[in-house]
Amino acid sequence: MTFAHRVAPYLQALPLTLILGVFLVVPIAVIVMVSFWDYDSIRIYPDFVTFNYEETLFSFVTWKTYLNTLKFTFIVWAITLFVGFWVAYFLAFHVRTATMQTVLFLVCTVPFLTSNIIRMISWIPFLGRNGLLNTALVDAGIVPAPLEFLLFSEFAVVLAMVHLYTLFMVTPIFNTLMRIDRALIEAARDAGASGFQILTNVILPLAKPGIAIGSIFVVTLVMGDFITVRFMSGGQSASVGLMMANQISLLQYPAAAANAVVLLVVVLMIVAAIVRVVDIRKEL
Amino acid sequence: MTESIKTDTAAGVSRRSLLKGGAAAVGLAAGSGAITGFPTIWAQNIKDVTLRQMGTGVSNINAIAEKCKEDLGFTLQMTALDSDAVTQRAVTQPDSYDIADIEYWICKKVFPAGVMQPLDVSKMKYFDKLVPLFVTGKLTPESAIAQGTAPHTVGFVTGQDSVEFAKEPTNWLTMIPTIYNADTLGIRPDLVGRPITKWADILDPAFKGKTSILNIPSIGIMDAAMICESAGIAKYADKGNMTKEEIDTTINFLIETKKAGQFRAFWKSFDESVNLMASGEVIIQSMWSPAVAAVRSKGIPCVYQPLEEGYRSWGGGLGIAKGLSGLELDAAYEYINWYMSGWVGAYLNRQGYYSACLDTAKAFMEPYEWAFWMEGKPAEKDILSPEGKVMEKAGSVRDGGSFYERMGKVACWNSVMDEDRYMVRKWNEFIAA
Amino acid sequence: MPSETRGFGFYVLAAFFVLFVLFLYGPLSTILILSFQGPDGGLTFPMNGVSTRWFANLFETQAVGDFGGSFTRSFLLGLMVMATTVVVSLLGGLAFRRRFVGSTVLFYVTIASLVVPSILVSLGIGLLFQVTGFRPAWYSSGFGAHLTWTLPFGLLIMFAVFNRFSPAYEEAARDLGATPWQTFAHVVLPMITPPLVGVGLFGFTLSYDEFARTLMTSGSFNTLPLEIYGMTTNVTTPVLYALGTVTTAFSFAIILTALIAITIINRRRLTASGA
Repeated sequence: MTFAHRVAPYLQALPLTLILGVFLVVPIAVIVMVSFWDYDSIRIYPDFVTFNYEETLFSFVTWKTYLNTLKFTFIVWAITLFVGFWVAYFLAFHVRTATMQTVLFLVCTVPFLTSNIIRMISWIPFLGRNGLLNTALVDAGIVPAPLEFLLFSEFAVVLAMVHLYTLFMVTPIFNTLMRIDRALIEAARDAGASGFQILTNVILPLAKPGIAIGSIFVVTLVMGDFITVRFMSGGQSASVGLMMANQISLLQYPAAAANAVVLLVVVLMIVAAIVRVVDIRKEL
Repeated sequence: MTESIKTDTAAGVSRRSLLKGGAAAVGLAAGSGAITGFPTIWAQNIKDVTLRQMGTGVSNINAIAEKCKEDLGFTLQMTALDSDAVTQRAVTQPDSYDIADIEYWICKKVFPAGVMQPLDVSKMKYFDKLVPLFVTGKLTPESAIAQGTAPHTVGFVTGQDSVEFAKEPTNWLTMIPTIYNADTLGIRPDLVGRPITKWADILDPAFKGKTSILNIPSIGIMDAAMICESAGIAKYADKGNMTKEEIDTTINFLIETKKAGQFRAFWKSFDESVNLMASGEVIIQSMWSPAVAAVRSKGIPCVYQPLEEGYRSWGGGLGIAKGLSGLELDAAYEYINWYMSGWVGAYLNRQGYYSACLDTAKAFMEPYEWAFWMEGKPAEKDILSPEGKVMEKAGSVRDGGSFYERMGKVACWNSVMDEDRYMVRKWNEFIAA
Repeated sequence: MPSETRGFGFYVLAAFFVLFVLFLYGPLSTILILSFQGPDGGLTFPMNGVSTRWFANLFETQAVGDFGGSFTRSFLLGLMVMATTVVVSLLGGLAFRRRFVGSTVLFYVTIASLVVPSILVSLGIGLLFQVTGFRPAWYSSGFGAHLTWTLPFGLLIMFAVFNRFSPAYEEAARDLGATPWQTFAHVVLPMITPPLVGVGLFGFTLSYDEFARTLMTSGSFNTLPLEIYGMTTNVTTPVLYALGTVTTAFSFAIILTALIAITIINRRRLTASGA
């Protein structure tokens, strides 16, 4: 190992470190500091108090809300994993040219170029009582009356999240699938493995890092979400992010900061667990 | 842009008649087009000034900036944000704006943060023309002061460098009041199918899954309190400043109602309330007057229903950032005086809000417009929005009647409670239930 | 499996993929239909006549907000974020191919960047600028805030790209006497160009649509999502849907143009090598 060789990774990691150092570590430090401050209905006071944490940790509302958020996370994770894996599989193994793969990817990205706020508004005329879907279902005679649960419900929250986040699962899985040596699959087939055996014994194990990375994306996105939950549940479903947003709207920064620290710890623990199961930096 | 020409001529006509009438003070401020700007020493370099105004889209309207440029010569950059963002930015980034357009209830929290400078009353040309609601808290000398954070209670501070609210009017305003209104329930008369007279009518089992209230905790809980009181569940000493027990009662009531499936959704932005109503998702909900007008302008029947218990009211104003000084500060005062001089007031009144200086606004409205919006009389002709769209057909009457009928029946103002820390926790409990 | 004849599996998965795309475009269908609302129509059904009024209105002055200015800011910011994300993520990805002191900390800080609620990151950066006397603006504080959002995605996608990336190619190049830079430029880079394009695309889309992190960091002027949200605090019109329809149509036009360009280039190359 030459000197240049040893220094290289530090230089390469420098831009990332600098950007996150200034724009992330400093804000996190401020959040941690403010989480120990005091506040009343008018002002915030620099102090060192722990009751922001006590109020957060010892209230059943927090636990209930975390449970609800975790429930959303699990459901959305399971669905996006299933859908995302097969979409990635199709793109990686059935689409033959790199150009076509890129085009199909682009086609999947286009809907996200229309501002999320506009898309959120458009769910009402799509899923609502007099929306496109209900009208079609009623006209086709499939249901006698409009389905109310399609909008402003937990179903709607999950649907919108799957809509928003599946692509975050597709991308990393697709990239790991592209790294799988096609000769390996041929070899397995020559050895008499069935399609299912190839999937479970060759492809899935090799796709694990991509699955883990996609899972990290989806878990962090759902755990921190508040806009989707608020919009799609019509403000009737709780999430950790929403709880914080309510505190921030009344300038109760210390309470929100304590909440954020707790959330950060919880999610980092989940990510650590994922990384422990699957080493995403394996043979990087 | 035929619309803006129309309004311009309308204003122009009244401007001329005004000057003829000899109302020189008003004319001087308003008729800058006719009298070539303000006769002040700095009139030469004022054109280089740019003021940045931030607030919600309710009053951060491009037409106001355009008219300001035309009348005063300097540039006003309008940035519209949602109400939460306005609050956050006002408190944490006083450098990012020169003029903040905020609501009075949140001013109770924003002003003590020391990010804004009090306004010198002696520099306010139209201070004595302000609706007394913002000075003494009383609409007329006989009227009672409503519950909640009434604007006058956070309207003045004790001195130039003070952040302490004054009990009596002083020479130092926290904000100059600009806009206010009284909110009540909006209904879809075609779908409700029964007369609505009380806030508690929203609880009718017939409307199950078709109702909504506001999703801003401090305001939503007051909607709920209006309903609770109307339904005889609770009686409040001050709905705008509840005790912990009162908060518990109100939230428990909300939780039960939510679990029973009475609500369809809660709305947060103006636009959401319009969409919920227009799409038929909701047929009865707490609403703003211009939102009702917006639903109606799409050809969908919607009524802004006056109720026995009265209205929940709110007001907003303009404040100046602490750092503003010199020429910019002079320009800001000039802008505020212009704002109060009538053109903007007329613009706001025509949307269904109320302006803080009614007399000056009157001069910029046609008599038939004034009669419709302010006096509660049937419209002589079609009522047009500031953009020139027909809002109300000739013959219609404004819901809730005249200005005095509506603002005289305010039950409480949007507010910040002493127990708001507890309130938010309970609100989160309600959302999680 | 990549075989010459399309098997049963292909048709099942192709159908699945088409359904997925239809699902992605579901809400866009309402945007498309309702952008042709009549002049008095609203953002929801029923349709109140049919017109192209709202497409024309897109280029007029709105009652509240300004599409042109905010779109320009968002578009430029998106490009800046895209370029930076690609470069920094690539470098970061290369760094993580070797062990270095602090790599675990850096990894978890990157993850934390995804987790910390956006609105608090936004407030924190805004406060930082306020306290240090810099004026927050979309191209400074807003730019930084967006990077805290896009870099974790970029870096982790690079993880997936470099996963089991065989060092054999690089060793072969080195054995042939290539300098590290030559190895990178002629061996590694061509192999990872498609995923890098993907990272850039991700970076642009995430930035272009970013909301909460921009809220407190964009300074005095709004990016497009903030402007649209600001507009919803007053009467909104189907002009929002017209914007959505135009955006989608425009994106498709670009994709199509690129596709045609690639086909033409490939054909030329083919004829050139054939001759």
